[in-house]
Amino acid sequence: MAANIEEDSSKVTALYPDPPPFWKAFTAENLSQFDSLKQEYADQNGLDADSAVRIPDIPENLNYLQPPPEPTESKWRLFSEPQTLDEELQSLETAGIQRLGPLNETDKDGKHIDRAFELKRLAKSLLLNFLELMGLMNHNPTHGLEKVQDLKTLLLNFHHILNEYRPHQAREQLIQLMQDQLDSKRAETAAIKNVVDKAKRALEGLGSMEIPTAEPKEIKPAHGLTAPPAVNGTNDAGDGPYYWDRESVGWSSLDADLV
Amino acid sequence: MGDRLTQLQEAVDQLANQFIACFYYIERHHDLELFGPNDKVPDLKQDQPKEVETLAPDAFQAGQLELARDLIVKEQQVEYLISSLPGLDNSERDQEQLIKDLEEELKVAETQRLEAVREKDEVLLKLDQVLRGIRRH
Repeated sequence: MAANIEEDSSKVTALYPDPPPFWKAFTAENLSQFDSLKQEYADQNGLDADSAVRIPDIPENLNYLQPPPEPTESKWRLFSEPQTLDEELQSLETAGIQRLGPLNETDKDGKHIDRAFELKRLAKSLLLNFLELMGLMNHNPTHGLEKVQDLKTLLLNFHHILNEYRPHQAREQLIQLMQDQLDSKRAETAAIKNVVDKAKRALEGLGSMEIPTAEPKEIKPAHGLTAPPAVNGTNDAGDGPYYWDRESVGWSSLDADLV
Repeated sequence: MGDRLTQLQEAVDQLANQFIACFYYIERHHDLELFGPNDKVPDLKQDQPKEVETLAPDAFQAGQLELARDLIVKEQQVEYLISSLPGLDNSERDQEQLIKDLEEELKVAETQRLEAVREKDEVLLKLDQVLRGIRRH
């Protein structure tokens, strides 16, 4: 086993690593055998052949032909890196860094003002520590390393608090997004209502005009196009010309709308 | 341009870079001093690389001043970014409540919108009929 591992590690350093060992399992024979097994399994369980992902109790030599089982715990390895289902922020303590601020409990009612205050304090400390580092380098360079370490701790703490804030910001962004959606929906509704109202008014206007037009309809061709303007200027009080006037206005507004 | 947090993170990283730049500047351009009667500035041969490139005192001072000012500006930028982080006043519970409320409001707004669209279609139909009627006259 140990020899195996050594062999493997030497392979990694080669320019092109060997293909993974299971490529040999994909022979035409194995593939057809696997397909028939899959079909059989699907028929037995009344499944569609495509929806049957894994066949239980498969012969050893065919095991590579099907995807690996789902991880039973919420942990798995990907490219030999351990992965977990829920990503948790590594705490400062486990990373071996001194925590400078108070421990922020994940309290649901906790406001984030304190966190911002903490960040500001850290930012100021950064500047001050840099000044101290400069002073130290002036007088006693051997102690400089400690100050650099302090600066490092400050920076790491800063980044940690910042990353703790990320879920909060994500929620905040969601709220913003929903608010925008709501606004645009309301604006759309208002715009539609506006147009509908306008159209309704136009219809009502048309309705009030159309009733009188039924009476002078026969006169219209006799009058011709020149007649209404001639009457317009002379007499507005008379019933007939007044209607004509209104009708011409109605028609022109209709024309404008249609164009 | 990223979100506020990313901006803040980048600003802090820049601040750290500026620290290093300042350090390098001072380390590189300072003048050589004698601390005691026994000290002496070593004579360097022509081909030997120089340890320091000493600047004229006023140029050195001016450079330091500029770097220090940049540091302060960057730090203020960091603080400004901190105070403009989104939702500082909201706790997690507030946020959840807000999201729920917004969800409800969105549903109401959607039904209102559909209602308006329906009404619009109706009016459109009516208007269409009226126009057809007029054309026949």
